[in-house]
Amino acid sequence: MIEALQFEFMRNAVIAGCFASLICGVIGSFVVINRLVFLAGGIAHAAFGGIGIAFFFGIPYMLGTLGFSLIAAMIMTAVVLNNKSRADTFIGILWAVGMAIGIILLDMTPGYNVNLMSFLFGSILAVPASDIWWMAGLSIFSIAAAVFFYRDLLAISYDDEFARLRGVPVNLIYFLFIGLVAVSIVIIIRVVGLILVIALLTIPPYIAEKYSRSLAQMMVLSTLLAIVFNLSGLWLAYTYDLTSGATIILVAAAAFFISMIFDGLFLKKRALLP
Amino acid sequence: MITNSIIEVNHVSFSYNGALVLSDVSLSIREKEFVAFIGPNGGGKTTLVKLLLGLLKPDCGTIKIMGQPPAKVVHRIGYVPQDVSINKSFPISVMDVVLMGRLQFHRWSRLSKKDRMAAKNALENLEMLEFQNRKIDELSGGQRERVFIARALATAPDILFLDEPTANIDSQGRTDLYALLKELNKTKTIFVVSHDTMVLSSYVTSVACVNKNVHYHDAAEITEEMLDMGYHCPVELIAHGIPHRILKTHGDD
Repeated sequence: MIEALQFEFMRNAVIAGCFASLICGVIGSFVVINRLVFLAGGIAHAAFGGIGIAFFFGIPYMLGTLGFSLIAAMIMTAVVLNNKSRADTFIGILWAVGMAIGIILLDMTPGYNVNLMSFLFGSILAVPASDIWWMAGLSIFSIAAAVFFYRDLLAISYDDEFARLRGVPVNLIYFLFIGLVAVSIVIIIRVVGLILVIALLTIPPYIAEKYSRSLAQMMVLSTLLAIVFNLSGLWLAYTYDLTSGATIILVAAAAFFISMIFDGLFLKKRALLP
Repeated sequence: MITNSIIEVNHVSFSYNGALVLSDVSLSIREKEFVAFIGPNGGGKTTLVKLLLGLLKPDCGTIKIMGQPPAKVVHRIGYVPQDVSINKSFPISVMDVVLMGRLQFHRWSRLSKKDRMAAKNALENLEMLEFQNRKIDELSGGQRERVFIARALATAPDILFLDEPTANIDSQGRTDLYALLKELNKTKTIFVVSHDTMVLSSYVTSVACVNKNVHYHDAAEITEEMLDMGYHCPVELIAHGIPHRILKTHGDD
């Protein structure tokens, strides 16, 4: 692995993986504690429509995907805020529509020769330097926003009525938060692809949640876990010549099941105590 | 009348999904009262509290708190919601819960030393400071209740609303809690939604029976018999036509 770092693509992959981990830790924690995994999945798949738009109109990938994901995310947020009980149906529809738009636009793109698989399963080993800058900028922006609004986000996640009483504009913060989720997803799609983005956004925070006493602890712990998953998955992909997105997810999933088994044993033991 | 009324409710009605929950409610409550909201489940107690907090908007009628609409004075109101264990497994420390009480959105520096001191003081008042770094779900029901009262007190409120604060705690915890509320009542107006009318009788200064309509009993007029009936079956208390004094819409002069 160390000698592999002499290659620029490998260095870029490690940097991209670290940015993605930071995002997973901070934004993913909010997604998990707010039970918004399905909505995050909806945004991720709808983002494919943005990929189609980017190629069809010849605009930069990040710009097209980000714009489309943000619009889809805002529509979903409006639906969730207005009709929480039926929001899942609507998210499911946007999920499918986004993908369909993406496929059709790619069909219609003349001379289209992009590897579709790289968007579905990621291409961390092929992240160009220009995308690294996009990722750096967006990561810093979303983490700064999450840190600045940490208390407000924590309050609306834990007890939104009380937050409203304290004068927090709950709906506005909610839109901001889902917007951050959309930005994060666009970044992470670059690393593991849109099919696997949900696993990377949720597995590290889910494991971390059980061992954390506060949200801040959960964020730090899940960032570290995500870095471990990313780098070991990358190492596996490099060593055995496998698809990096899939190896990263399988490492994360393995850790997830190990933590579940560990908890099962540990909790049983604790239950036996008087 | 010596003291002014701190809360004025005039002909307020509220319906939820087309079903009338509260009908033509008028209420006037003086400062430093200790008011108990009693009534059957589904009678609208929590709805009335949320209307007073400004979390819900009445279909018609007006609510004035300290002479202003609830949204304007909401920062002077402390609120302890019902069933604080809904989000039990949430990764949040006791300190972070109490700091929510110091949240102010329109401020660039988000939390100051003063806010942390206020949160610490609130925890200390409730003898919960030693638990400040614990995760909220590691606490017992009674301890959690104290944390949520500390959060409400951290806002330095003039009015305190507690929605069924004794639901999750044992009888010793209840006695302690009401002793604490009595102490707080020296400086604050307190509203408690509760079924514990037995405990209420010794601390409460007035009772409001909430069952679509609101019947307000001033302390002086409560007989033990009425309270007894109120505890067993508040619906009957209203339905059987025992004379109630329904307060006039404006303070009686």
